[in-house]
Amino acid sequence: MIEIEDLRKEYDDLVAVDRVSLTIPPGEIYGLIGPNGAGKTTTMRIVCGLLEPTEGRVRVNGVDVLVDAERAQKSIGYLSDFFSLYEDLKVWEYLDYFAHAYKMAESEIPGRITDVIRQAGLEVKRGELIHGLSRGMKQRLGIARAMIHRPQVLVLDEPASGLDPKARVELRNLLRSVRDEGATILISSHILSELEGFCTSIGIMERGRLVQSGRIEDLISAGTQLRRVRLRWLGDGVQVWTVLDGHSGVSDSKLNKNDGEFNFSGTDEELSQLLAELVAGGQRIVSFGEEKQTFEEIYMKVSSHEVM
Amino acid sequence: MIEIWKNPEFVRHFRANLRKTRAITVAATVIAICILIWLGCWGAQQSELAAMRRGAGEFQWSPERLAQMEQHSGVEVWLMFYRFLMYAQLGVLTFWSLLSCAQSISGERERKTWDFQRATRLGTGELLVGKLFGEPVLAYFIVLCCLPLTVVAGWLGGTTWQNVACGYALVLAGALFIGLTGLWLSNLFETRSRGTGLIGTFGLYLLFGLATALRETSNFPGIAGLSPLTGMLSLLQEDGRYREGATIFGAHVPWLLMSLLLYGTFGAWLVLVLLRTLKKDYDQMKTLSRREVLGCAAFLNFTMYALFLPRPWYRMDAIGFTKFMVGMSGLVLFGMGLAMLTPIERLKVWWRTRNGALADDGLAWPWLAMSVVVGYGTLVCGMFAWRHHVGFEREALMTGLLLYVVIGVYLTRDILFLQWCRLTRLRAPVLKGLLYVGLYYVAATVLVTSLNVSSEARGRAVYALMTPVGAFYAGSANGDAYQSHLLVQIVVGLAIQFAVIWALLSGIKSRLNSQ
Repeated sequence: MIEIEDLRKEYDDLVAVDRVSLTIPPGEIYGLIGPNGAGKTTTMRIVCGLLEPTEGRVRVNGVDVLVDAERAQKSIGYLSDFFSLYEDLKVWEYLDYFAHAYKMAESEIPGRITDVIRQAGLEVKRGELIHGLSRGMKQRLGIARAMIHRPQVLVLDEPASGLDPKARVELRNLLRSVRDEGATILISSHILSELEGFCTSIGIMERGRLVQSGRIEDLISAGTQLRRVRLRWLGDGVQVWTVLDGHSGVSDSKLNKNDGEFNFSGTDEELSQLLAELVAGGQRIVSFGEEKQTFEEIYMKVSSHEVM
Repeated sequence: MIEIWKNPEFVRHFRANLRKTRAITVAATVIAICILIWLGCWGAQQSELAAMRRGAGEFQWSPERLAQMEQHSGVEVWLMFYRFLMYAQLGVLTFWSLLSCAQSISGERERKTWDFQRATRLGTGELLVGKLFGEPVLAYFIVLCCLPLTVVAGWLGGTTWQNVACGYALVLAGALFIGLTGLWLSNLFETRSRGTGLIGTFGLYLLFGLATALRETSNFPGIAGLSPLTGMLSLLQEDGRYREGATIFGAHVPWLLMSLLLYGTFGAWLVLVLLRTLKKDYDQMKTLSRREVLGCAAFLNFTMYALFLPRPWYRMDAIGFTKFMVGMSGLVLFGMGLAMLTPIERLKVWWRTRNGALADDGLAWPWLAMSVVVGYGTLVCGMFAWRHHVGFEREALMTGLLLYVVIGVYLTRDILFLQWCRLTRLRAPVLKGLLYVGLYYVAATVLVTSLNVSSEARGRAVYALMTPVGAFYAGSANGDAYQSHLLVQIVVGLAIQFAVIWALLSGIKSRLNSQ
């Protein structure tokens, strides 16, 4: 669990993080979205105890990061946006170093190294020097390092930047498996599609401020008074036109010969009622569904559109 | 932390640098080089013997004496070999330690691996020990390979085991101290530069060489103890002039002890600074707390008086001693002032919270004033300790007081200027501020030199009005009228500096208010 309270960070004249308050419950995957320079990295580094805030406080699993950073770091795994590895070490040596640095029990280390190497899909590279790994493999090894000590909180800053599509898929699968182990993940990106279908909550940062935050469903429902519904039918559409024209919740309808779309204002119950009316009126409906909102659409509604 | 072989940071370096093939190659190379060195020593000895045989008739040596010399030549070869190995190990270990440690933390910052280490549960002490022994681990391995050969060479060369043990103690202590210096330097830089590291390394070696060379003439001969070469020369050279010279409050001590004392005390301050700053973010590092700065000022001033040695060819009276010591103390206090510069962010928080003038994150001037008081206190104690050589006079104490007041005011001005520079948008503000301060003093000196052509009095007046140097003319035997005139100039100079300080404080306040 991460609790951020009234966080502020200043660099010279610049306010990098401005009064950010946020609570991420256990088991959540929280995506922090924002353009470069929005304050995501600064926020994450403060959460990890790497940077002291100008004001505010951060607690990770109940431990105040400012008061006892080393204890808090016991439960945090961190991966920064741009990083390199100790290229003169072998894969297992690298993980062994961090396992000891996180003060894991000696007996637990060999098994854990094997586990994370398997999770990261690096079994065949276990005894190889890091120098010879591909970019995607290094990224996965970086994540394996971040989770070597079984952290309850994983903080990943732009983990997919610079990866090819295949490596991104692998990364996503890896993070899903970590989530399944019950870890809370705070992940940042300025590429919205990277987080789509993966995060349970998102926060949108701009110019140091958290302009929107919450569970994705809540954000969608809060951001959408009107839902866009698409439908397709067989035969003439007279019945469709009649029913839709007469429904108070329907607006902005665009109906063609065999398909159409409209905005709907109402609950799920009312929407199903509308479908039932169409079918009861003898209209042969082929498809009827709400158009899913994407991250981009949510973002466009709440931000000043600085994200890709 | 104590079990170095379990320290993850040390183990990392050990694994990366000493893989089996590399270790075998290094060991074989070291042994081959040692054999070559021994052959070189043997060859040199044989040439010397041949020369002796040729000159035996000329010097009328008896055949018995020649035979004795030839018999002894075996021991001489081993002794030469032993000395060569000792110097070589000292050179390799200290050079490697400095070069590798000086790029250690800045290198990690540059490679973006430093945050990962900082985010682990490794304590600052563990990181420090791991890096100190780990970065130059290959050099330690080379020394380890040489160790049995050195012991055997020393034994066959007729050296005592104490000499070998002291030699190794010096090599180790020197390497650790120099490694700590390297880590401290590397922590000061955000990115590494191999060029800078090399220049710094050679610069430090030049200083060590100078300290060793000047140990017989300088007023602080003990400083030469910081150079491991001084201690090694005293251990390995039979010449008596290498053995003596280190003094503490005028009492002679062996160079080895002096070196170990200096490494221990200065090293302890370096460790304190590193423990405070190692896991801090670069922008938030603050070398020492205000109280530690006071302690450090007291330590450095005390060390100055402890290492001082009056020289017969340059007799100092009480006033001369006071001026010399206050001048040196001024440099120390300037260094302390630099250590007290507050990072902008902390200064802004201090300003907003109105945390009191003595707060750790506030402006440096109250603590600078206290450091000046500490400096004057140690002057009084130091003069008392050296009273039999330089005297303990009221006039000298009054001169010391005046000098410290003047130095305190100018220091406050310069440090506040540097703090103001930090609040500007300058790149590398402290470095640029230091350059401006240096330029100011150079300009003042040029002005004084130009004025001295027409009138020396005018030159001194400018010194008194613009720099603290004018105050150092006080107490000189130039007559009461001159002294009163100088005093007025000093007071006017101080008034000008107070006006500048007020302007700087206003500038700092307005910048803090605007941000």
